[in-house]
Amino acid sequence: MSTTSFPLAPTELEWKLPPRGRIAMFALIAAEAAIFTIFVVAYLFYIGKSLSGPMPSEVLSPPFLYTVCLLSSSLTIHFAARSLRVGNVRSFGAWWLSTISLGAIFLYGTASEWHRLIYKDGLTITTNLFGTTYYSLVGLHGFHVVVGLLAMTTVMVFTIVGAMKQEHAERIDVLSLYWHFVDGVWIVVFTIVYVIGR
Amino acid sequence: MSIDALAQPDERTETIEMPASSAWPIILAFGLTLVFAGLVTSSSVSLLGAILAASGCIGWFRDVLPREKHESVSAIEMTPPVSTSRPRVAVVEWMTEELHRARLPLEVYPIRAGVKGGMAGSVAMAVLAVMYGIISRRGMWYAINVLAAGFFPGRHPLAQIGAFQWDSLLIASVLHLLVSLSVGLLYGATLPMLPRHPIVLGGLVAPILWSGLVHSFIELIDPTLNQQIDWLWFVFSQIGFGIVAGIVVSRQQRVPTRQHLPFAIRAGFEVLGGIHEKDGGKSR
Amino acid sequence: MSTESIAWPSASAESRSFVDTLHEWVTTVDHKRLGILYIIYALVFLLIGGIEAAIIRIQLIRPHNNFVSPQVFNRLFTMHGTTMIFFVVMPVLFGFANYLIPLMIGARDMAFPRLNAFSFWMTAFGGLLLYFSLVGANGLYGAGNAPDVGWFAYAPLTSRTFSVGHSTDFWTLALLVSGFGSIGTAINIVATILCMRCQGMTLAKMPLFAWLNLVMAGLVILAVSPLTAAQIMLLVDRYLGGHFFDTQAGGSAVFWMHFFWIFGHPEVYVLVLPAFAFASEIIPVFSRKPIFGYPVMVGATVAIGFISMSVWAHHMFTVGMGANVNTFFVISTMAIAVPTGIKIFNWLATIWGGKIEFKTPMLFCIAFLFQFLIAGLTGVMMSAAPFDWQLGSSYFVVAHFHYVIVGGILFTLFGAFYYWFPKMSGRMYSETLGKLHFWLFLIGFHLTFDFMHIPGLLGMPRRIYTYEPGRGWDTWNFIVTIGVFFQAAAIVVFLGNLIWSYFRGKAAGNDPWDAWTLEWSTNSPPPAYNFYTIPSVQSRRPLWDLKHPDDPDWKYE
Repeated sequence: MSTTSFPLAPTELEWKLPPRGRIAMFALIAAEAAIFTIFVVAYLFYIGKSLSGPMPSEVLSPPFLYTVCLLSSSLTIHFAARSLRVGNVRSFGAWWLSTISLGAIFLYGTASEWHRLIYKDGLTITTNLFGTTYYSLVGLHGFHVVVGLLAMTTVMVFTIVGAMKQEHAERIDVLSLYWHFVDGVWIVVFTIVYVIGR
Repeated sequence: MSIDALAQPDERTETIEMPASSAWPIILAFGLTLVFAGLVTSSSVSLLGAILAASGCIGWFRDVLPREKHESVSAIEMTPPVSTSRPRVAVVEWMTEELHRARLPLEVYPIRAGVKGGMAGSVAMAVLAVMYGIISRRGMWYAINVLAAGFFPGRHPLAQIGAFQWDSLLIASVLHLLVSLSVGLLYGATLPMLPRHPIVLGGLVAPILWSGLVHSFIELIDPTLNQQIDWLWFVFSQIGFGIVAGIVVSRQQRVPTRQHLPFAIRAGFEVLGGIHEKDGGKSR
Repeated sequence: MSTESIAWPSASAESRSFVDTLHEWVTTVDHKRLGILYIIYALVFLLIGGIEAAIIRIQLIRPHNNFVSPQVFNRLFTMHGTTMIFFVVMPVLFGFANYLIPLMIGARDMAFPRLNAFSFWMTAFGGLLLYFSLVGANGLYGAGNAPDVGWFAYAPLTSRTFSVGHSTDFWTLALLVSGFGSIGTAINIVATILCMRCQGMTLAKMPLFAWLNLVMAGLVILAVSPLTAAQIMLLVDRYLGGHFFDTQAGGSAVFWMHFFWIFGHPEVYVLVLPAFAFASEIIPVFSRKPIFGYPVMVGATVAIGFISMSVWAHHMFTVGMGANVNTFFVISTMAIAVPTGIKIFNWLATIWGGKIEFKTPMLFCIAFLFQFLIAGLTGVMMSAAPFDWQLGSSYFVVAHFHYVIVGGILFTLFGAFYYWFPKMSGRMYSETLGKLHFWLFLIGFHLTFDFMHIPGLLGMPRRIYTYEPGRGWDTWNFIVTIGVFFQAAAIVVFLGNLIWSYFRGKAAGNDPWDAWTLEWSTNSPPPAYNFYTIPSVQSRRPLWDLKHPDDPDWKYE
């Protein structure tokens, strides 16, 4: 064996590389951010270009409560990840469950808003440009919330059956990065849909 | 699994842990494709795709959790040590020891050589051009007006082409000096890199090539201007410029490049031991 | 955990059944096998796309030709463009990146082997979905066939009114599916390069190949995602009745152009950066000199990455965007010539004064330098908006970007095939056939694409089905088509060389080129684990250090 082919450089015994899970998640977030950027630009460009009603100012009202729920879930997931890092699985489970609940409440908020828009205000994706862009943008965000909730529910199941260990903290950190991103996107979506676009 | 698990082979068994092959990625990919293909065929295809994708997800999940699956690959291959057919590094004789690894070129002309060359060439060219104006009886300002003609599209091209016009002189001089300066700088940079006969290449070949280039597109850009140019004299002036600039540049003192020195030293900082570390000392 | 031991590469490969072998390849997560799968997949589609191109050229060989019908012609140029970009060049570049990056940075596999397999299969199924339209779109709905909206599928051609049936949907979905694969591979490449380097290989000591592919992967992440978003919008329009690109309801067709070219132009650099990577590995080895100006090369690469994100609308000068927008994109487009020029000069400086060996890979790279320069010069010509107004959507444009993609990318790609073939197969290729391939292809390339500029200058628009005689286009089109036959012959020689050498070539040895990067320190072909001992490096040319212990590189870097 040519085990001696490569002499170890004594000066560089310290060799540390970034964890690949984190890097990959940052790369994925970059890709997702690019997708959202396109939808956000489309929304901004088409503000006020609808040829017929209903217009955003007539039918939209800012969902403050649900927004607070989603944003505070970022906090709870942060505490959950911190608990797991120090090995406190019980407190992790509690924080994790509250994160899922907050996310689910937000999703319920979106669903009820869509229900109202469709059945009461008669706004569908085909109605006008506002409908097209609104449902696409909010729907894309909602899809990401659903994916996040599915992933977190899986983790919750493992926590309940007791398979969750401190050694998984790294992966939970990566998952929480994704959730922070979903929350961050909502701030942008909220701003342009409910503040600028109205 | 951490990267460390990959880092060292298991010395006792002579096997190396590699990620186990898995069918789930292709099943998930096929399922997702079918989900989309269902949009263009029929919803049952999407349903089948969704089932495949879901089973792919679950299977994949079980591949990596709780631990990533590995298979042991027997390390049977002997890798011969790295060798080369050119074992000896030839040490060039004509360099001093600390320049053993030189960044070519070793010497260049300083920037002022290019400036001087360009200015000298510009004078030579101007003299030739004015001589042409006088000899051809078009007037000594003729070449200057032609050079500046592009800036005065409204002026009739032939009416006063031989007469003195101060704005033409100004613009032509600026143009002439700027172009001469940049060509001179180019000469300063390239002459040390030309293999041999720098004066022939820089003074004769380059001007002819350059004139050919100008000749080929001036007809497209400005046919009227093209009619005003006597191409033989044009080439003469270019060659005059090239030879004078080349001679002036090549007479300048060359200076060694400092490419091999670290940036800090080139930038003028006093760095303790900067040279010493890079060159590994004289004793080597 | 599985504990079974598999022999690799098995000496008894012939004795195993075909099904076993197939199963092994289908379920593989090994980066080298996936790399080879990518490459073979791309070669198959290269043949398909090449045949499409040949039919297009035969149709245009003389005026009023009726070799194919106008409808088929539209499908052909759409499929040719889509195939060549998405299912030939991208996969083959990903294949080389997959195969070489772990070997070059001293790793045993990619960061995410299963994701790697998944991404490959997504790309592969995307291509199959696109070509399924030939039977699927027609057979089931009776309206339309293969996509025929051009490879950039401008709205409103893609709206339901003008594209009845499902051919456009096939196009959209195929690109969506393969786009997911591309993004997956790009994420994998980024994570591999940043997280899997062997000891001592700092970012400043990586081979340039790894650097260029890192920037390429970053561009894929930022450029393919907008395409994915645009495809989703198109699907919303076509399936759910949205109005994104529906001008009747206030939507904007120009918006699609922007979204497509936000992807489309960085995509050019996604394709060309790996070509630069090949050149940056091949040129130094065959010049027997280290690459000139490594830090500047890295800087220029990153600069190209950034600038390429801000030049997309130079594809749209003829749309009429207004003076300010035009000016911005003219300037940014011209600016990108600067880092690219720096790279050309650095390659020239690497060759300059070197002890050049004119092996086939080097021949291809030298041709690349000349041709890419010309392609860049016509690019600078086109970047001037007034010039573009004259020649936009003419054959001049077609000649320009084929000069980039064929003269630049495909030439280095052929060089890469010959350079790494000994490593991948363990066999040496035939140098005679390689040179024959080079000269045939060079002649064919120049016959086709040099002369294609001229009918463009004379006003021949792209994508026309046929033309009137007597416009001065006839002779040029004839020459252009003749060149195609030379290129086809060259491709036959190339494939023949690969196949013949794989079975009959003489053993190559581990390091046939006396090269300097890590992949040449292991066996040819490399074992599944790449390196028995994970290497540790001290300079950019680790094998130079090992070969010349008396004069190692790390004393100078």
